[in-house]
Amino acid sequence: MNNGTILRGTDLNKSYGDLEVVKGVSLSIDVGEFVCLVGKSGSGKTTLLSLISGLEHATSGHVTLDGKDITSATEDELALFRRENVGFIFQSFNLIPTLSAWENVALPLFPVKMPGEERKRRATDLLKRMELGQRVDHLPSALSGGEKQRVAIARALVTHPKVLFADEPTGNLDSATGDAVMDILKTLHIQERLAILMVTHDEDLAKSADRIIRMQDGEVMS
Amino acid sequence: MNLRYLRSELYYQKRRTLAAVMGLSIGIALLIILNALSMAYRRAARVPLQEIGADVTVQRSGNVPKDLTGAVFPCSAVTIRDEEVKKIETLPGVRGIGRAVLLWVFDSNRAWIVLGVEQQNSVGPSILRHFVIEGRFFEEGKPEALVEVSYARQFGIKVGDTISLAKRDYPVLGIVDASRAAKIAVANVYLPLSEAQRLAASSGQVQAVSPFNPADVNLLFIKADEERIPELSSTLLTMMGKNATLGTPDSFLKLLGSLFALSDKFTLAASLIAILVAILISFKTMAGNITERAREVGVLKAVGWINRNVVTQLLAESVTECLMAGFLGLLMALVAAYGLSFMNVNIPIPWEMSPRPHFLSGGGDQIFKTLRLPVHVPWTLALFAVLLSVVIGGLTGALLGRNISKIKPSEVLRHE
Repeated sequence: MNNGTILRGTDLNKSYGDLEVVKGVSLSIDVGEFVCLVGKSGSGKTTLLSLISGLEHATSGHVTLDGKDITSATEDELALFRRENVGFIFQSFNLIPTLSAWENVALPLFPVKMPGEERKRRATDLLKRMELGQRVDHLPSALSGGEKQRVAIARALVTHPKVLFADEPTGNLDSATGDAVMDILKTLHIQERLAILMVTHDEDLAKSADRIIRMQDGEVMS
Repeated sequence: MNLRYLRSELYYQKRRTLAAVMGLSIGIALLIILNALSMAYRRAARVPLQEIGADVTVQRSGNVPKDLTGAVFPCSAVTIRDEEVKKIETLPGVRGIGRAVLLWVFDSNRAWIVLGVEQQNSVGPSILRHFVIEGRFFEEGKPEALVEVSYARQFGIKVGDTISLAKRDYPVLGIVDASRAAKIAVANVYLPLSEAQRLAASSGQVQAVSPFNPADVNLLFIKADEERIPELSSTLLTMMGKNATLGTPDSFLKLLGSLFALSDKFTLAASLIAILVAILISFKTMAGNITERAREVGVLKAVGWINRNVVTQLLAESVTECLMAGFLGLLMALVAAYGLSFMNVNIPIPWEMSPRPHFLSGGGDQIFKTLRLPVHVPWTLALFAVLLSVVIGGLTGALLGRNISKIKPSEVLRHE
């Protein structure tokens, strides 16, 4: 299944003042690989996800995606990097409450110069794939938790990312809805060979992954 | 900037939008109405002079005549020499001059207020020719008289009668309703200027108070360039000496006594306070709104919006809200201006501009010119207010947008 490394973090450290949150972590994700980052609350897994996804700079260490080093990128370069290469799914969905489902999906495309119709078509197609074809014009407040997360997944996919980052994607969902969301992620992984890095504290969910990385006190245990 | 996002944000966050719009719109409305009121009082203050086609009146005060018999000068209007008039005509800003002679004539059985007016002049009291309600206007050089309608009614004087003033007879050619024309230089009887000059020159009482040649006058009406009136007033006061009395739009404005009329500085200060308070309210509301949206901004950045995209979007929202506030403020000001335009304003006419002997009935009463306050919002003020709203929106949006765009997405998204 593995066809080379798409994402690599080398000797990553992150400190907030005297507090070392990530300590000398190195990891890599191959094309089409589904990796779970597991650890207790406060183990540094979300911070590691932020570093490796370009959400924030590491105190030291290097991150390369598809061979490009993003370690010394500016804020705007990181933003463009995220738009073009990665997608995010958050625990609390983080949808914009004033935008409809399709507009939320198209949100990463708003700053991109393209016809409005094209934007809407891409967003609507993804929502249909998420079985939300009837909910394209609904505001997030009119959607269930599972529907909101499926909108968030569609948003993460709208720019055709190379890697999908999911931070506790089922954390706010009941088990049945959570399972459905996991099924979507597994399908994306299998059918589209999308590299996925998922942060979770749920060992059962982590079993779905190709590989599990365990963290404790800012360090990778296995 | 995405219009769809902008519209959704303003539409679905009605409370936020309304709070930002209302605060600024009240300030804008206050700014407009304060300035419109100030302009209205200024406009109103010009009316008494405009009604006789003048911008400035010139008089010179003198002594009270010792003996009130025959023709005398009111103490507020003594001789202005012909040479002085000719010199005034050449002053910068003077576009035209109207001459008049005002006399009190005390005969054995009656007291008259007599005004000598030019036969043809658009400046000064010769505009009375348009207010002859019976008979006709006189011809220059002929010893003829017009009588004020209320005086004629009181004493039963009719066209065709002959009246006697300081032992001279004058046929009554017409009846004039001067109250429709002006409240300045209102008399009982109007004579051709040359006749009034002859009466004054031949009067011992006049000559005793102030030497008077037949070409002299004691009232001047000046039409002047509006922007040069202050400079002209200053020159006239220097030229005419300490006894000169000038009537100008500013002197009427001072008599009005309203805060709006009193000072440009008050209007400016009040406008500045209104707009500063509005800016602060609007800034605070928008700052609160934007802070509430820190997480949203974090999401935008996480999904690939660069700082400029975020600032542009927030700037557009802010400018749109402030533009709406500008138009709402303008609408509120227009409604207020309409309401205020029904208000009457009484402009006091200084006694010296229409002097009546105090011992005559109503002689000491204050005369007022009453008119509707001419409040309206000029398009330049409306445009300025709306543009100011846009500028406020632009500055607020740029400042707040720049601040919030510096937020790191990981900082706001990590705390689930």
